[in-house]
Amino acid sequence: MHIHLIINNEEKTVTCTPDDTLLRVLRREGYFSVRFGSDTGETGAAAIRLDGELVTADIMLAAQADGHTIETIEGMSNGLDLHPIQRAFIETGAIQSGYNTPAMVLAAKALLARNPNPTEADVRDALSGILDRETGYVKPVQAILVAAAMLRGEAPNLPPIHVLTPVEYDPGFGDSDRDELTPDVGDMATQTKTEIRPKITSDIPETSVVGKPEQKVDAIKLAKGNPAFVDDIEMRGMLYAKLLTSPHAHARILDIDDSAALALPGVHAVIHYKNVERVIYASGGQSYPNPPPYDQVSFDNKVRHVGDRVAAVAAESLALAEEALKLIKVDYEVLPAVLDERDAIKPGAPIIHDEPDAIDIHDAQRNISHHIEAETGSVEQGFAEAAHVFENTYRVHQVQQCPIEPHIAIAYWDSDERLTLRTSTQVPFHVRRMVAPLLGLPVKRIRVIKPRIGGGFGAKQEMLIEDIVGHLCIKTGRPVRLELTREEEFMSSRTRHPQTITFKSGVSADGKLVAQQMTTLANTGAYGTHGLTVQTVSGLRGLSTYNCPNKRFDCHVMYTNIPVPGAYRGYGAPQALFALEVHMDEIAHALGMDVIEFRRKNWVNEGDGIDIAPHLGEGEKETVTEIPIILSNALAECVDFGKQAIGWDRRDDPEWRNVPGKPHQKRGLGMAVCMHGTAIPGLDMGGASIKINDDGSFNVLVGATDLGTGSDTVLSQIAAEVLGVPLEDIIIYSSDTDMTPFDTGAYASSTTYISGTAIKKSAEGVREQIKERAGLMLDLDDWSGVELRNRHAWAPDGRSVSLEQIALHSLHQDQQRQIMHTASFVSYESPPPFAGQFVEVLVDTETGQVTVEKMVMAVDAGVVINPLTASGQVEGGMVQALGYAHCEEMRYDEAGRMVNPQFGPYKIYRADEMPEMGVILVQTHEPSGPFGAKAIAEIPKDGVAPALSNAVFDATGVRIRQIPFTPERVWQAISKQFA
Amino acid sequence: MKPAPFEYIAPNNLDEALIAMEVNGFDGKLLAGGQSLIPVMNFRLAQPAVIVDLNGVTELDFIRPNPGGGVTIGALTRQSRLEHDAIVRDRVPLLHATIPFIAHPQIRNRGTIGGSLAHADPAGELPVLSVALQARFKLQRYDKERWVNATDFYQALFMTALEPQEIMTAIEIPPLPPRTGWAFQELARRHGDYAQAGVATLIALDDDGVCTYARLVFLNVGEIPMVATEAAQLLVGERISAESITAVVNHAIQHEIEPTSDVHASADYKRHLAGVLTKRAIRQAANRVTS
Ligand SMILES: Cc1cc2nc3c(=O)[nH]c(=O)nc-3n(C[C@H](O)[C@H](O)[C@H](O)COP(=O)(O)OP(=O)(O)OC[C@H]3O[C@@H](n4cnc5c(N)ncnc54)[C@H](O)[C@@H]3O)c2cc1C
Ligand code: FES
Repeated sequence: MHIHLIINNEEKTVTCTPDDTLLRVLRREGYFSVRFGSDTGETGAAAIRLDGELVTADIMLAAQADGHTIETIEGMSNGLDLHPIQRAFIETGAIQSGYNTPAMVLAAKALLARNPNPTEADVRDALSGILDRETGYVKPVQAILVAAAMLRGEAPNLPPIHVLTPVEYDPGFGDSDRDELTPDVGDMATQTKTEIRPKITSDIPETSVVGKPEQKVDAIKLAKGNPAFVDDIEMRGMLYAKLLTSPHAHARILDIDDSAALALPGVHAVIHYKNVERVIYASGGQSYPNPPPYDQVSFDNKVRHVGDRVAAVAAESLALAEEALKLIKVDYEVLPAVLDERDAIKPGAPIIHDEPDAIDIHDAQRNISHHIEAETGSVEQGFAEAAHVFENTYRVHQVQQCPIEPHIAIAYWDSDERLTLRTSTQVPFHVRRMVAPLLGLPVKRIRVIKPRIGGGFGAKQEMLIEDIVGHLCIKTGRPVRLELTREEEFMSSRTRHPQTITFKSGVSADGKLVAQQMTTLANTGAYGTHGLTVQTVSGLRGLSTYNCPNKRFDCHVMYTNIPVPGAYRGYGAPQALFALEVHMDEIAHALGMDVIEFRRKNWVNEGDGIDIAPHLGEGEKETVTEIPIILSNALAECVDFGKQAIGWDRRDDPEWRNVPGKPHQKRGLGMAVCMHGTAIPGLDMGGASIKINDDGSFNVLVGATDLGTGSDTVLSQIAAEVLGVPLEDIIIYSSDTDMTPFDTGAYASSTTYISGTAIKKSAEGVREQIKERAGLMLDLDDWSGVELRNRHAWAPDGRSVSLEQIALHSLHQDQQRQIMHTASFVSYESPPPFAGQFVEVLVDTETGQVTVEKMVMAVDAGVVINPLTASGQVEGGMVQALGYAHCEEMRYDEAGRMVNPQFGPYKIYRADEMPEMGVILVQTHEPSGPFGAKAIAEIPKDGVAPALSNAVFDATGVRIRQIPFTPERVWQAISKQFA
Repeated sequence: MKPAPFEYIAPNNLDEALIAMEVNGFDGKLLAGGQSLIPVMNFRLAQPAVIVDLNGVTELDFIRPNPGGGVTIGALTRQSRLEHDAIVRDRVPLLHATIPFIAHPQIRNRGTIGGSLAHADPAGELPVLSVALQARFKLQRYDKERWVNATDFYQALFMTALEPQEIMTAIEIPPLPPRTGWAFQELARRHGDYAQAGVATLIALDDDGVCTYARLVFLNVGEIPMVATEAAQLLVGERISAESITAVVNHAIQHEIEPTSDVHASADYKRHLAGVLTKRAIRQAANRVTS
């Protein structure tokens, strides 16, 4: 049928079928800003304006739009002339991956058309149908308030990042009046405030680009909704792939008959265990050699969880591919399944990996994927000597990373007959190396390109679907695209490891830890992938924050029949810190000590060593041989600032704790102390190349993958700083295995630290060459004193040449050479960032509903290279952590089928339900980091769950050792306590 | 995914729509806002052979005050319009106040009142309100029409009195008895989610504060909106007190609701929750009574 649409003021006649959704048709017509998030209208990624009203195009038929007016973000700008809402999104730092920025901008436009003077609550309501996994909605809300003011003709101040001029840290500062600390955010006050509190432990040099809230280098294209993501290209002759996944949690495949599917015209290939070579691998995106076990093949004759791969088809359309799936006949022998790690270890549990060719499974007969042990001192002796011994068991559940853009990959042969994989990944270089043997191609015949990606959070630190599109492309000779549905994203991709953790601590009479033991039973689901490394980090994080002479970690990583856990931002630390920080709270209460003073007595300080680290290196090999020493640590300041910002002393005020007239409502405050790592020492490596162009601008080629975190921006800032140019002179290109130097990828909070140092070294190399050239041009005998500033090289005598002149001179005129330098960096340090996390709750003791009213995190992440992106990381990370603690949960029926694989039943925080948030960046100067920086991306994931649990205890006196804090769980705990 | 193929008919007026349904009713489906239907079609959970799109039948998009009080609302009226309409606000404040509990702005911009009522989700707010307010639905076929009380309309899980060829065209909401206060209480994780349990309450009090009329209708604790008639009757003739409320709550949750466990909550918890919400709703409704 034909429909007539007026899209962005342009009349169009479009051909479609009645069953086409509007999302489908708009993308087909090239409106790539309208994006897929799910099929249920829950993500809002497909929002458009229909006759001026915001609607979501994924749950509307194209035919229904016939004769109507449509607006997408493509119609909002003209070249570089952006709409004020788009400008505000850029200037406030509201764009991270940008995947759902178009939807938010349109929601804002629809709101402001109706209500030019919205309150913050109005803005939050307008955004409430659009899920965001990255910003915590903080900066988008600010952006819309700023835009509203601009559109009203006012000149709003930009909120509310306050970079205070560095002052000497004043220990008394923490005790001053609270109000003084609340920055003046002018007319743009929002629920969230960010402050930067400098603590100078050594000189921070003056900088001109680093340390400034620079706009993201990719912000404009993302604000305009330009085609930038994997799915935003259309290849001639492209085939659509679909997965056939297992309906059973555990079954043997006796036979597969694909003849009927293949007979369907338009179906080009069906692949499964019978026609794909069996190559054993481990899918976790990690350095060579991948940590064991090697327990996966592309397609197996056994399925180990609901959602496990059975077959894949490639067909000319999605509808055909789906039709074909129904025609594949699979003969299953259903086996008993086990879902809980505590059951998997019991004798007689079904054996999940009985295949003979798996490599390096610790004890397959008992479902033990790994056994990890580490000890310093002797805990037995410590417990014997302790005045008090405490032991508690905690349980953490399974959640999914939920990037709004699901996994998607396109494979095609290029003109040199090399296989190109355009994929939404965090680890392009690992993917290339790992996929090669599966496809039977040498590494050199594969190129992996990572375009913009719509969030990853660890789910994409995996070689997950690239082998499938690769196989299908090789088989058919045609480009092949596979995008996971939202249900597959939950059940067939990666998740976070559930754990059962027992902490046992011995404490001396004066409140010092003398022995601490962490015993973990972890659930790695059907496959090992990140099972070893996540659990190792879990042990390291669980046993690093506090000094203690005797420590022991004992962990069994169990196979079960649940969808596979992998990497998720935080990487084992959120699990460990939930247990540790609730346990520490419990001990403090039992000893009658103040919860903060007890921690303070024991936490690590500058100069302390992390003594368990050498025993818990990542991977089997020990990459850390010496005890790492903490060189920068503002934990005490973080806690003091955090206390103040949350109003910790209100704990003592009964009037505040109770709500007048509502005896069932109780308020409470809780806190947790966090310590994380920065990159994996001795393993994470990043490389960068920088070359000069004719006009004195620079190309920066870097392997680091920007997931929306802003790493391209931060890395460009570092290069600009060294080279003495403004940010706009840096053209960064990240992550393409053909074009950029190697990088291990975006994980383990490593990018700023590792890739940042690589960039810095590479820029310094270029700087030397520029200085030398300046010496040549200015006839200097000694060019070592030349400085780069304001796009010029300055001789000590005040003369200068511009970088453009230098570029032209060296490229065209005299002793020609390309000014260019490549450098790489691997660190043997992993300097820990620190944080104090505070949470305020209101508990309805009758319904069990917990309302988080306020969260404050004060973070020491070293010198902050970009306050905008850094605070964005903390805000977004805290909100993910809040979801983990409060409401997100993958739930199963007895047969192991996930019962809530959609947003809605799987509950993610929305814009209108957010607590008030405060972010305080406490700066230290980390001697080992670039410009003094440490990592910031993961630590916000660590403290919310324990702080929430401690706050609920503070409010109600009920201790809950299991997350998430759903109303029913809290109600049950409360009724039990008072029964 | 995209929905399975079907024939698409877009009538321009009610007559055409009624004819289309008369012909295709048995293997066809009406499409209103599509906010419930298209998701299930995307999942292939519904695969109608014919879709009759009501969106062109603009005569069903209206809000009219009734002469004796109350309102009549066209079935195609969008939920967002109810949210912003002064007549609804003044005449049916319970409805007006509850709309924001439904989904999110862009869903309410498409979703219709008739679609939600016909969809009959036991966790939906509008079916519960229609029963609480004792609304009547006009159900039309090509050659006949009838009015059905909301109370009789809901029959079993996702089952209503609608015949396959019928279109719900209007919803008539009578005025509240004098001196009636109202309340709607639900527990969702937050606004916009389907609730774990909820209750709509109407209470009328005389000058002495004695209850003359009470109505309690529950959400998501049974296959259909659950009316606690006996429990409500216990309140009539009583003053609002802790004791009278407890008696009502206990009777309602023990005898007049049938919660089952689902993804969100166990049956026991829903039962408990229904009690807590009822207690609060009765107080809130009583406080809203004005002379
Ligand atoms: C993300 C999301 C969240 C949601 N959250 C909530 C929530 O919290 N609470 C809630 O109550 N709802 C919620 N909904 C559902 C929403 O309110 C729907 O709009 C509503 O349930 C259906 O209305 P509709 O007009 O979209 O109907 P449609 O989807 O078009 O139709 C629904 C059904 O009703 C039938 N039908 C429609 N109109 C008529 C008519 N006039 N006569 C006879 N039959 C008819 C259709 O044939 C179909 O079977 C949510 C939806 C989404 C997508
Ligand atoms: S852009 Fe917000 S979730 Fe990705």
